[in-house]
Amino acid sequence: MNLIDLVTDKIIKTPLESKDKPDVLRELVQILKDAGEIDDFDEVLKAVQDREDKQSTGLTDNIAVPHAKTPAVASLKLAIGISPEGIDFNSMDKQPSKLFFLLLAAPGMSGPHVEALAEIAKLAQSTTLCKALVSAKTAQEVVELLTGD
Amino acid sequence: MSKPIKKIMVYIDGTEQSITAAQYAICLASFSGAELIAHYVINTRAMEDLLKARIFLQDEQLEYQHDMKADAERYLNYVNELAVAKGVTIIKKLSSGNVHKQIINTVNDEHIDLLVVGELSHIRSRRDEFYDETERSVRSAPCSVLIVKDEDRVWELYESMV
Repeated sequence: MNLIDLVTDKIIKTPLESKDKPDVLRELVQILKDAGEIDDFDEVLKAVQDREDKQSTGLTDNIAVPHAKTPAVASLKLAIGISPEGIDFNSMDKQPSKLFFLLLAAPGMSGPHVEALAEIAKLAQSTTLCKALVSAKTAQEVVELLTGD
Repeated sequence: MSKPIKKIMVYIDGTEQSITAAQYAICLASFSGAELIAHYVINTRAMEDLLKARIFLQDEQLEYQHDMKADAERYLNYVNELAVAKGVTIIKKLSSGNVHKQIINTVNDEHIDLLVVGELSHIRSRRDEFYDETERSVRSAPCSVLIVKDEDRVWELYESMV
């Protein structure tokens, strides 16, 4: 499965309402809850927070990739959140994060999980695309940017 | 005339499509008498990309490497059980690295006549970032390639084998 197979307008939110890190993690997990992709909000949030507690997944260039393995999902789950203003996410370059990719995988799915994360890493290298994603006004616009349409 | 297919390799990646491909390959091996190899490649190239991007912590990398090896062995054992159940001998091969390069190398090293893969993902993006490793293998394999489709029909075929 490619990462793009997970992309629909239902798992994308722009702009995010959160102003700080704990809230943005909750809001990202809520996107999946609202889309009917997860049942157990609390268990998923705990898995994501536990991973963040080890080290922030805020990368450079305004991108954050919170991720976790959790038995609360049966297959790969992706949520995309965009905050044009930026949120302090304790990122590597100390810059606010604007583009959030939340990725969840079930234990026993480490291969697809790693490949999906690697695809996000490749996307993150495209400064032009990332800037366009941050400027997108609607979820549909994000879908179109990612599909190249 | 010698047999057109002496050695088949099926690529396993843990997807349902690759398991369907394995069932079909088992049928083909049974009917043709060809030798069958099931090959799983642990994608360490992706792992390296994640370390480079600093998405993974060091201990997270080790944990995932361990998990990926365990997943690979589990899938290969499952495919082996599918083969044994139909009286077909299968050779399990586990490697790691760049997926399409490992597949091509094994095709060459093992003198594979036919590479069998599962159905490819539909093309949903024209962006280069979303390339598919299996599709790359299909495009660059030096032998004939069979892309297995129609899961229900393959399952019936496999089940009907004595």
